[in-house]
Amino acid sequence: MAQPFPYTYYSCDCYDSKVAAAPTKHASQGIPPAEDEDERDFDPRSPGANYSLYPLEHLLYCEDCQQIRCPRCVVEETLNWYCPSCLFEVPSSVVKTDGNRCTRNCYNCPVCSSPAVVTTLEDPFDPSSSGGPWLLLCTYCKWTSLEIGIEFEKHTGITAQLARLGNGGRTIPSHKEREKERERRLELDKHKSRDILSGSEDSPTTDKRDDGPPSHDDIYANLSAFYKSQLAAQQPSNPFSPHDINFSSPSSFSRIMNLYSSSTSKKQKREKPTPMREAASPLEGLTLHSPSTDTAIIDRLKTSGWSRTLSPAQKLAQMTPTVRFTSDLRPLASILCTKRGKRCRSCRHILSKPESKITSTRYKIKLLARNHIPRLSLRALHTSTSASASATAAAAAILPFNYDSLRPGLPIHFLLHISNPLFDPVRVTLATPSLTPGRVHTRVTILCPQFDVGANTDVWDDALSGSTDTAAGGLKRFSASGEGGAGRGTEGSGGAVEAGKIWERGRNWTSVVLEVVPGKDGKA
Amino acid sequence: MSSSAGGERKVSASLGRSVRGQTPRIQDLASTPESPRTPLRSTSQWFSSPGGSFRTEEEYVVLEVGSRFVRGGFPGQSAPLCILPFGPDEQRRLGDYRQWDPEYKMKRRKRKRGQEWGQEHELYRTDLSKLDLGLLEDKLERVMREAYNKYFLLDPKPRRILLALPPRMPHPLMSTILGVLFGSMQAPSITLLSSPILSTVAAGLRSALVVDIGWAETTVTGVYEYREVHEARSIRAGKMLSEEMAKLLNEELNEDVEPGDPKIEVSFEEAEEVLTRVGWCKSRPKSNRNTLYFPARTSPILEEFEDAVEVPEPTVAIPFPKNTPPTELIIAFASLAKPAEAALFAPQTALNEFDDHELPLHHLIYRALLSLPMDVRRICMSRIVITGGVSNLPGLKTRIIAELEAMVQQRGWDPVRSYGSAGARREAILRQQRENAELRREEGEDKVSESLDPDNPPAPPSAGFQSPEEDPIDLKLAHIALRNGPPPNAYVGGVIRGVETLGAWAGASLVAQLRIKGIVEIEREKFLQHGLLGASKDKEISVVPQRQSMGPGVGRGAGERASWTLGVWA
Repeated sequence: MAQPFPYTYYSCDCYDSKVAAAPTKHASQGIPPAEDEDERDFDPRSPGANYSLYPLEHLLYCEDCQQIRCPRCVVEETLNWYCPSCLFEVPSSVVKTDGNRCTRNCYNCPVCSSPAVVTTLEDPFDPSSSGGPWLLLCTYCKWTSLEIGIEFEKHTGITAQLARLGNGGRTIPSHKEREKERERRLELDKHKSRDILSGSEDSPTTDKRDDGPPSHDDIYANLSAFYKSQLAAQQPSNPFSPHDINFSSPSSFSRIMNLYSSSTSKKQKREKPTPMREAASPLEGLTLHSPSTDTAIIDRLKTSGWSRTLSPAQKLAQMTPTVRFTSDLRPLASILCTKRGKRCRSCRHILSKPESKITSTRYKIKLLARNHIPRLSLRALHTSTSASASATAAAAAILPFNYDSLRPGLPIHFLLHISNPLFDPVRVTLATPSLTPGRVHTRVTILCPQFDVGANTDVWDDALSGSTDTAAGGLKRFSASGEGGAGRGTEGSGGAVEAGKIWERGRNWTSVVLEVVPGKDGKA
Repeated sequence: MSSSAGGERKVSASLGRSVRGQTPRIQDLASTPESPRTPLRSTSQWFSSPGGSFRTEEEYVVLEVGSRFVRGGFPGQSAPLCILPFGPDEQRRLGDYRQWDPEYKMKRRKRKRGQEWGQEHELYRTDLSKLDLGLLEDKLERVMREAYNKYFLLDPKPRRILLALPPRMPHPLMSTILGVLFGSMQAPSITLLSSPILSTVAAGLRSALVVDIGWAETTVTGVYEYREVHEARSIRAGKMLSEEMAKLLNEELNEDVEPGDPKIEVSFEEAEEVLTRVGWCKSRPKSNRNTLYFPARTSPILEEFEDAVEVPEPTVAIPFPKNTPPTELIIAFASLAKPAEAALFAPQTALNEFDDHELPLHHLIYRALLSLPMDVRRICMSRIVITGGVSNLPGLKTRIIAELEAMVQQRGWDPVRSYGSAGARREAILRQQRENAELRREEGEDKVSESLDPDNPPAPPSAGFQSPEEDPIDLKLAHIALRNGPPPNAYVGGVIRGVETLGAWAGASLVAQLRIKGIVEIEREKFLQHGLLGASKDKEISVVPQRQSMGPGVGRGAGERASWTLGVWA
């Protein structure tokens, strides 16, 4: 696990308020309805708790509401868009038309998703004028665009080139060309059907360019064009429609002409609009199911096996959701990132705002919870060290405490360290359920539940004015444990674990001892 | 810092705050009649300046919330920008990076006690008694936040949401989903569209029989003129399929395990991956006649016989890196089709042993068709649209259609399965009918071969509906209709035919692109005030300026509405 075991999570307040507002929601969990207070108890083991527990570093703090703000209780607003790979800012007007992806040369490997680079395929003995054919190469897994049969002529404008290149090197007609082609073929079809009707046999033979089943994009474009044409055909049927009043439109023009012309006597009954029809041909987006594609896929599976198929993650990353084989992969243009400001959800004050320059990582405003909330940390206390000689203490300090081998029934002492980031002293009152919830009931006792933590004053102020014994001693201990790192008791505190007494105190921190008696497995 | 904060506040003021001095809260945004603001202009449609409609150009975000994935994107795109799953890795605490630990990745996760197969990967289930709605809210909220921040990358303008939901969604579920979208995503309004209708739209049809093979259940919806007319369900769907696949893999993996060693149990992810990568379905119905008449025991023998045709049996090597020790399973390719067989078609079981909720798919579809009125059935049976995640299994669509065809051929459209003692008489009638039909067909064929060139196939809708006599005036009318009206194959009916669809999300994207408004449109303020209870009780609201040309499910054009309805979801 990335977080070493004794970690501290902070529960954001928004969880409590939600539960209080809607107590029925979490009650449907199957827990018998307990007393009101018990029900409100935060259970860190419930799956819902994963969404309200945060490490302190991830939290913001709203100074007006005086509350911590988790990612759930902030509103984010985008400041600018940039490509994480080339760090170029993308103007907001083109972000959407580019499909939220970088249109420069930033591509990711479709197999392992690490960045791919453009390299040349030039033969060093026979250099070409342009630097030879280029290809995309993944520097991690060595995937190249040659595997899907794609080579580039230039090393710039990869996106534009890729848009014209299909897998296997065939050229894809551009969007406009496809539209024109569709129009042409639709016209042709119309003529043909008329020719059939009128009985003339000399219908021009269409050039049946069969390029396999149409792609997902093509079908969508066909459907969209079909629906548009159908809706457009219906539009003038209702000139009084209040929604498309527009004096440049023919419908309003005809309405005005109607108003002033004398043809009012010929009152036409408004026709009932004919229902829009269904798509009837592949050019209109109708794709009939054909068993041959299914058998083709099965045959391919049979021959190519596991290694040619895509994993779920690779499939989800692709732009078209229907890909199945490695030969269908397309290089992935890198998704743009944004710089976002964050506001408090309830008072709308800005909590964090980065500098708008892309390459800068600094923030204009940054209200972090770690500057406002005492930091708690927990670690095991080596009781043996204080008793034995300093040589063994050093050895024990090197040997880390094994948190995985707590034995049930044996009490262990933990040191709870609380440091105060505020400029005022803080009074802390701790509470814990005597038995932890869950399968293993562990008894936890806080030996000193109430204490003060000093203010986060300037270190030098403290040192210079430090005349009293306690303050000086505390400072000394502070520096000692800061160097030593491990949580050893120093001589100053006497080394004995005593109830009602704090273990150690520094300028702005205090540590107290917890006694933990690991419980037995409830089943055993 | 305070000065810069002041500067920022100005920005926020322009962003929609009405009063500078007082800090508005979210609740204010929802409903304060007192707070001064520009009154909503009720655009009098007759006198407003032209082109006003351009300014109120609405931008949509198109979402489809399924039980395991959320798809999201913008209108006019053929595929969603992101398809986000709900795995356990997506549900970790913030700052818990263990899924990136290479060691952790190689470990096989065990199913938690008391958890059903794949439960960790679900967003919701329709059985609300076991569903934690608070958790659902948390999950959806996090995923939507990811979608908005990582994939949509929108500017702060509020976007309307077009939401594709299955019809018959439980109200608590719907209200939670809408609550997240209105609350966290700040959507000004949400339009609900039912996913079978969207699948129909994405197939280019007006009527269809939409078979949605999803995760928890398969839904068969008869859609006629963009309106749901019938619905049937079965639990034979993705969940059962992946559980069967896990069973098969466990069996194969445990073959080599010593009796004393612990049994290998593949995890959900592994079974899912095998299923999506190399799972398939036999596209020919095997021994179909037999399964119908001799329900149980005869079919397996036949199948084994047929399986043995291919001599060097093709195999697939499936790596299991999460196993200890990592292993590679070599499995016969044919056996990878067994889970689909067992989970979706269950040919080994007699029909009378199924409960109503677990009918095999072909029986389910057949029954759904049977319960449709005859005219609707004629249209729907030749527009069978199979969609949903499982439908990507190679061979499955072909198989379903073939099974259905065989069933229809055998049983016709007769709801009575057994006539008992009257069986003999019925047989006679059937035979008579069949002979008559054959006779008629022969006659028809004769005529056709005389009158028309065989190269030039005739245009009439279908041979069965062709009238033997040709009236010249009828012919002329037909010509005119054909010239001006739609081509004849838009009216195909009476034959079993499968039509491919781009899926509900693409349908929603089409609908949003064409600016077609849905019947169910929920305004943010009204929802936050009353929740789902604010909906008026009538199922269909007459939206006055609306023409019925697109049908009631997807109406076009509508102004401000006083009340809103939940339509099919009511």
